[in-house]
Amino acid sequence: MTEAILRLTGVVKTFPGVRALDGVELEVRAGEVHCLLGQNGAGKSTLIKVLSGAHRPDAGRIEWLGQPVSFANPHAAMKAGIATIYQELDLVDELSVAENAFLGHEPRRLGFVRRGHMARSTRQVLARLGHPEIPPGRAVGKLPNAGKQVVSMVRALSHDARLIIMDEPSAMLAHDEVANLFRIIRDLTAQGIAVIYISHRLEEIREIGDRVTVLKDGRTTAANLPARTTPTRDLVSRMTGRTIEYVFPDRPAVATRGPELLRVDGLTRHGEFTDVSLTIHSGEIVGIAGLVGSGRSELLQTIFGARRPDSGTVQVRGRVLRPGSVGAAVRAGLGMAPEERKSQALLLGEPIYRNITLATFARYARGGFTNSGRERAEADRVAGDLDLRPRDVRRPVRTLSGGNQQKVVVARWLVGGAGRHAQGGTADLLLLDEPTRGVDVGARAELYQVIRELAGRGAGVLLVSSEVPEVLGLADRVLVMREGRVVHEAPAGELDEDRVLDLVMAGSLTEVS
Amino acid sequence: MAHAGSDLTRRRLLLGSAAVGAGALLTACTSNEKETPNTAQTGANQAGANASPGKRVVIGFSAPAQDHGWIAAITNNAKAQAATYSDVELKTVEAGADAAAQRAALATLLAQKPDIIVVLPHDGKELNSFGLEAMQAGVPVVNLDRAFPDALAYRLQIKGDNYGMGVAAANFIAAQMKAKGVSNPIIAEIAGIDSLELTQERTKGFNDTLAQHGMRVANRRAAEFTIDSGQREAANLLQALPKIDALWNHDDDQGVGVLAAINQANRKEFIMVGGAGSKAAIEAIQADNTVLKATVTYSPSMASSAISLARLIAQGRGMSDLAELQVPKEIILASETVTKENASAYLPLGF
Amino acid sequence: MEAAGGQAGRQVELTQAPEAPPSGPPRRSWWRDEAGEPVRRNLGLVVVLAALFGIGAVTKPDLYSDGGWVVDNIFTILKQASAIGVITVGVTFVIIGGGIDLSVGAIVALAGVWSTTVATQEYGAGGMIFTALVVGLGVGLVNGVLIAYGRLVPFIATLAMLVAARGLAAQISNKQTQVSTNSVINGIASRDVLGIPELVIILAVVVAAGWVLLNRTTFGRRTVAVGGNPEAARLAGINVRLHTVLLYALSGLCCGIGAIMLTAQATSAQAAMANLYELDAIAAAIIGGTLLSGGRGTIIGALFGVLVFSTITNLFAINNLSTEVQNMVKGGIIVAAVLVQQVQFKSMSQFLSRNQIIARSKS
Repeated sequence: MTEAILRLTGVVKTFPGVRALDGVELEVRAGEVHCLLGQNGAGKSTLIKVLSGAHRPDAGRIEWLGQPVSFANPHAAMKAGIATIYQELDLVDELSVAENAFLGHEPRRLGFVRRGHMARSTRQVLARLGHPEIPPGRAVGKLPNAGKQVVSMVRALSHDARLIIMDEPSAMLAHDEVANLFRIIRDLTAQGIAVIYISHRLEEIREIGDRVTVLKDGRTTAANLPARTTPTRDLVSRMTGRTIEYVFPDRPAVATRGPELLRVDGLTRHGEFTDVSLTIHSGEIVGIAGLVGSGRSELLQTIFGARRPDSGTVQVRGRVLRPGSVGAAVRAGLGMAPEERKSQALLLGEPIYRNITLATFARYARGGFTNSGRERAEADRVAGDLDLRPRDVRRPVRTLSGGNQQKVVVARWLVGGAGRHAQGGTADLLLLDEPTRGVDVGARAELYQVIRELAGRGAGVLLVSSEVPEVLGLADRVLVMREGRVVHEAPAGELDEDRVLDLVMAGSLTEVS
Repeated sequence: MAHAGSDLTRRRLLLGSAAVGAGALLTACTSNEKETPNTAQTGANQAGANASPGKRVVIGFSAPAQDHGWIAAITNNAKAQAATYSDVELKTVEAGADAAAQRAALATLLAQKPDIIVVLPHDGKELNSFGLEAMQAGVPVVNLDRAFPDALAYRLQIKGDNYGMGVAAANFIAAQMKAKGVSNPIIAEIAGIDSLELTQERTKGFNDTLAQHGMRVANRRAAEFTIDSGQREAANLLQALPKIDALWNHDDDQGVGVLAAINQANRKEFIMVGGAGSKAAIEAIQADNTVLKATVTYSPSMASSAISLARLIAQGRGMSDLAELQVPKEIILASETVTKENASAYLPLGF
Repeated sequence: MEAAGGQAGRQVELTQAPEAPPSGPPRRSWWRDEAGEPVRRNLGLVVVLAALFGIGAVTKPDLYSDGGWVVDNIFTILKQASAIGVITVGVTFVIIGGGIDLSVGAIVALAGVWSTTVATQEYGAGGMIFTALVVGLGVGLVNGVLIAYGRLVPFIATLAMLVAARGLAAQISNKQTQVSTNSVINGIASRDVLGIPELVIILAVVVAAGWVLLNRTTFGRRTVAVGGNPEAARLAGINVRLHTVLLYALSGLCCGIGAIMLTAQATSAQAAMANLYELDAIAAAIIGGTLLSGGRGTIIGALFGVLVFSTITNLFAINNLSTEVQNMVKGGIIVAAVLVQQVQFKSMSQFLSRNQIIARSKS
């Protein structure tokens, strides 16, 4: 229990213009859950890639099982016993569970893959992970996110991994699935397997973690803190260098609620959500709480015109919006930050400013000719408002951390003056789908502040989040969705987390099986 | 708002009618009514013994659907020739884009039990098996141009002389050079699709014959039997050889592009010989106002002859000018040289 | 719109007083600028062109020592590149927009044949040009509608169009070569303006227009967005389907222009013309740095790609080398160009980062 199986000293990794790792120290013992904390851009992702063999460090020393090592590629790291489960799971949707588990190291005899053997071992490992219900022959694409994650773990175990790195494993999971994940992690550590656990959720770290190492700007600022007893204030200050609370901005008095901006009447899409009605007033933040699959993302997309409703209407300032037309929604002053930043919102190879002005470049154009100078100036202004880092708007979006990429997505709808559609601003009705997913504590607080300030200046916000405290802390009014229906609506102050979870889960336990 | 709306509608209406108008105009523009293409007929209307009506025969016919003037002329000639006989019914089948499609089309044709089949195959080797099959089924096959390798696969083979084209072109050029007193002429060659056997045969005949005259090709380009490839290869060839004495272009169809390139480069110092014998080429030779002074034939008139002979075979008759009671088994057309002097005689055969 | 009088009083900026910027925008060298990357990519192709010229000069010193001949030859190469160059501009747009157009050669043939029928030629040069452009545009529109609204995969839709358009061209021409008797049209291939061939001028104008369209207009921006991430483009309010239609229409229009140029060069048109131009155009776009998956590409690079091919054909002709070898070399160049771009890009960025670190440690 006490021997260190992995020890990093002074690890440095640089990329063009960025010193991603600048002297990282890390020590992981067998059988422990070692948590890695740090803001977006602190170097966690790079560190994972160095450990998993995807990057080679420029300087420093990595000792694995007492020997200095340098992994030439991810395969070498895998063979040495280090498995990585990435946030964006690297599974092949078309292949089966077993095929994914053994991808790249299929058991062979005489050049033929031993399918039976593969299926048997997969079934054994699945049972060991407490998921005997997953069929090894099922295509991975048909599994829910939690199931996919289990497959990633099966893959790690199929390599006899002694260290498993988990990058935000809980980000894609619903509440009860996280509990199961923790159970699996405890099983693994009991067998002497070490886990490096990365998460932005402090409460998870408290629950599952043994020790914590904190990164900031590519350096280790604190190592081996006890996970359960170190005060939150200490952890946050090590991460940010400042002492900020994980707090939500104050709600203004209810009196600031302005005229009605959005009215949704009886909106229905068969199989996704049914008869949803809601209103949003100027200056108001409305939150939607619900499980993944409760129809909340689909609802947002339908309001935004990205999906066509089967029935029901959407009105903006009393005018019925043309259904199924994003263009009409954008012209009416709606903006949406979709759930999947990379696949739904960003042009990763394009400069930041072009991503920020993706919905608005035409207004800066004259006679069809774009005005990149004005776009850059406006993008830079908005980027400054959101404290985008690094702020150079000509860099490709690809080079930004997850939290800063999210800021770019939000920034898109703040161009021309946030919340002032009538005066030439882009949007005064923001539909935010999981705006803080994968965003670190510091950036989260900033995003909350931004959202509240937007509302303060007359914008309406519809917020979807899997994190109940976020919905309760930020929204003025909360709608609880379950199985495509709004089951409860109340001012946020009249609800607490337990009550919401109750509403969200009720009945769903019997549905799932 | 309402005004703007109606304005928009009007604009749309205008745009719409403009589109319809353009469409109508364009449709009218597909018309190509100039003159019917040349077709060559054997002397069916002459009072020969072979011309007299015999028993009624059904001739099946198939040639590749290729976008090339020569192939098109083959089909046209066959149809025109068949039309001159009162006792012949011609059944043509579309041969499709490749050998497999043609095999399928021919199988359908064979099932209809014609008296005889005339076929210009996509590829002689690939369709050899069809010839065997038809012959075994008792339907004689007239193999046109692209030869079946197996002698059992055809009753009559009638083809052009690719090697002879090269020979004829080289002989004409050599004679011209000698007449002009050019001792060491710079000779260029623009071939057709290089991967085809016929192209290789033409080039071999050309090279062999030039060698006999102590001459050789200075630069050879391969085009693709298309006008634009002819233009491209010729334009580059003319750059490669700032001075040329003679140029042989294998194919008069791509020759349109070759001549265009020569005109665009403003080159006149050499003589050019064509190949195959298109109508346009023969007319140009007759007019004698371009560098094109001759063309060596590879005439699609062979399709006309094939129909005539197929009729005789089916009727069990021989060629009246020959002593034999049956049509011979193999006929190879001579490649003739069309020059200004004899152009008028060949003009009706041009395609 | 008329609403929202109630918000007039709240025009406060998000951050009341802009904080002092940490530092002015960093000074950038030209190759680090946003336009720098494509330029760097194209440098490789310029080097290839120079190398090809060098090979020519070494192998045929007698020709290359004649300045007049060299100028003449450069114009020959440019003229041979002109029609395919114009077509490649259209194809490049389609590829950057996330599609592929396999029908360009067939559209050229159809437009060429349609504009050289006896009936069309009666309308004179204007009628012929109008016909070629409208036919090209029309076929492109059909492609676009099939793909954007008919939900056909671009590969399938344009493959079908390839077959159908050549079929229609064969039908109209009755498989005959249609000679253009119009001296204005034919003259396009032989006339000069101020010593520059008209074909080369058309190519230059189309390339310049294409560059502006891609890099300086909302159309170009939409193209990159639609090709780079169609879902993001859609969710930003861009009409992805309409834009897709416009992209294929643009490609068709370029084919119409190319058809006139090619018809002028060959003084004729036929259904078999512009054979396999689609592959040449796609290859040129790719070696010019256009990403086949869409979202990135350059017009200038595509032009260089076309010029490289055209120069190789010319060099092989001048050295009397066979077409087979030429085609093998072309294939090799495609692979090499893509490889070199990848390696060059990687090592360049490594080189840059090293330099930066050195610069930083010095300061």
